[in-house]
Amino acid sequence: MTEAVAAVEIDGVTKRFGDVVAVDNVDLAIDDGEFFALLGPSGCGKTTTLRMIAGLDLPTTGSLRIFGEEVGMAPPDRRPVNTVFQAYALFPHMSVRQNIEFGLRMRRVKGPELSQRVAEAIAMVRLAGMEDRRPDQLSGGQQQRVALARALVNQPKVLLLDEPLGALDLKLRQEMQQELKALQRTVGITFVFVTHDQEEALAMSERIGVMSEGRLLQVGTPREIYETPASRFVADFIGRTNLLEASVESAGAVRLANGARIEAETSMAAGSEVAVSLRPERARLQPRGAASAEGSSLDGDVRDITYLGHAVVYEVAVGPMSVEVRSEGEVGQPFAVGDEVTVNWDRGAAAVVAD
Amino acid sequence: MTGTVETGLGQRTRRLLAAWAWVVFAFLYVPIVVLVVFSFNASARVNIWGGFSLAWYGEALSNEVITSAIRVSLIVAAVSTAVSVVLGTAVALALDRYRFKGRRALDGTIYLPIVIPDITMAVMLLVFFAEAFKFIDSFGPRFTLGISTVALSHIAFNISFVCVVVRARLDQFDRTLEEAARDLYATGWQTFRRVTLPLIMPGIAAGGLLALTLSLDDVVISAFVAGPGSTTLPVYVFSSIRRGVTPELNAISTLMLTASITLVLGALALQRRRASASQQTQVL
Repeated sequence: MTEAVAAVEIDGVTKRFGDVVAVDNVDLAIDDGEFFALLGPSGCGKTTTLRMIAGLDLPTTGSLRIFGEEVGMAPPDRRPVNTVFQAYALFPHMSVRQNIEFGLRMRRVKGPELSQRVAEAIAMVRLAGMEDRRPDQLSGGQQQRVALARALVNQPKVLLLDEPLGALDLKLRQEMQQELKALQRTVGITFVFVTHDQEEALAMSERIGVMSEGRLLQVGTPREIYETPASRFVADFIGRTNLLEASVESAGAVRLANGARIEAETSMAAGSEVAVSLRPERARLQPRGAASAEGSSLDGDVRDITYLGHAVVYEVAVGPMSVEVRSEGEVGQPFAVGDEVTVNWDRGAAAVVAD
Repeated sequence: MTGTVETGLGQRTRRLLAAWAWVVFAFLYVPIVVLVVFSFNASARVNIWGGFSLAWYGEALSNEVITSAIRVSLIVAAVSTAVSVVLGTAVALALDRYRFKGRRALDGTIYLPIVIPDITMAVMLLVFFAEAFKFIDSFGPRFTLGISTVALSHIAFNISFVCVVVRARLDQFDRTLEEAARDLYATGWQTFRRVTLPLIMPGIAAGGLLALTLSLDDVVISAFVAGPGSTTLPVYVFSSIRRGVTPELNAISTLMLTASITLVLGALALQRRRASASQQTQVL
């Protein structure tokens, strides 16, 4: 562990709305300068967590620190954070310039400093020439930039983004992903963003926190989250995966529901009910009998083939189970429906996940 | 023909309906036109045209009873509008924002003055003032019916109207805008002053114009709660009718009509601005 103070430190924070527990005893530390994603399905508590950092909701219990300073109960205007809202929440009665100036004026920044900082922010998000327009005269992408400038002009220590790309169409969304990453590198502050889009989270963030039903299930780099999911939910939510029911036999092996024994690292006690998560693109398909001795394999029959252009997806029936295998760069048509095949994967390619 | 959808009505039916529409229109507006035309009548006889003249306007405006009534009307309208705009907006905000004990009851009864008959409201207020004065007088000071009771009564019904109009505006208000302001370091008061108030202003202004119009037009309630020297213009007109319709009354009525129409058009213009503003927020 480094000695640097975490940008955001959430300690045992719970938020209840009446009888509903929106956020359930969450512990989380977000580093200084990090691009952090809170990922989960709608209603998982990610937005509430973000709103608690912003001060728009107050935690029921627990402690929340920003750069070491306790702010759990502080009003939003007393926190060194700013938010980019989901639908931007630009002030419709103000021009682009007035929107961007708002935070500085509230902090009584005046004169040359005010105009200089506003001009810099406008230049940073490339909105020069649009200063006097009203928000309704801007496109979705431009509105998003105003929202970014309006937050960043205040030089917050942490920028919070609530589904920042949700309102944009696909092409613009991909552009803005790159732009946001570049922007974060330029300003060098911590970005915490909330999304339900796992691809977006994988592509943009340095670390991801996966949430479900108010709980923080796993925190890690995109690679850790994808390759060694800690639970069935995480494995299933991030990307596509085959979840094969199994029970732990020893530290190095599990037995699948169909009786097959598979080599896989696990720290769980023998006899635990688990699932083996096998990513479709990590599995290979081979004619029955030709399988290499390396790794693990399962025998089955090809039940369905989906041609996607850049890849072919095979659905293989292995006893009562169904295994999806994704094959890229395949030449010719090596398999047909009904073929007897062996699904094979390298040691370490599959992860054992708890229920 | 014109590209509109064929409604199935024959040409004859359409002509008949158009003619009928004109009849209705005439029924509504001919009396007004007659009133306005005869206010410029040089003759003292109400129903005989004697040439164009502004004499009756001069006569009306030099009659001290009338000018005093106009003054009372304007003071009452200004005071009751100002007070009811502040209180009505505050009530609307409270009902929209907060959950408190008795909120439901208040929500249901705040609109009562709009639906109960004027005459009931008038009697209610008169009885209330009589009882209140009896109570207050027991401590020494002496209150009587006068301009302040008229103003108070107008405030009583105007609050409801302002509240209705402002709440309609608040219904469309996006609360995230307030959160954005709070996030940008605005205090609660600054948020209200810089974001909430400007955005609900068209509603408040429309409510205010409505209040002004209602106050200037009220007869029944004012007649009940007015005291000596606090006769409003409509009450004066109503009481002079007993002495017959004079061209002077036509002139006064025309003045009141002009004032009312101006105010209503102002309110409509504001409401139209409100509608287009809400369309803008939807685009956002």
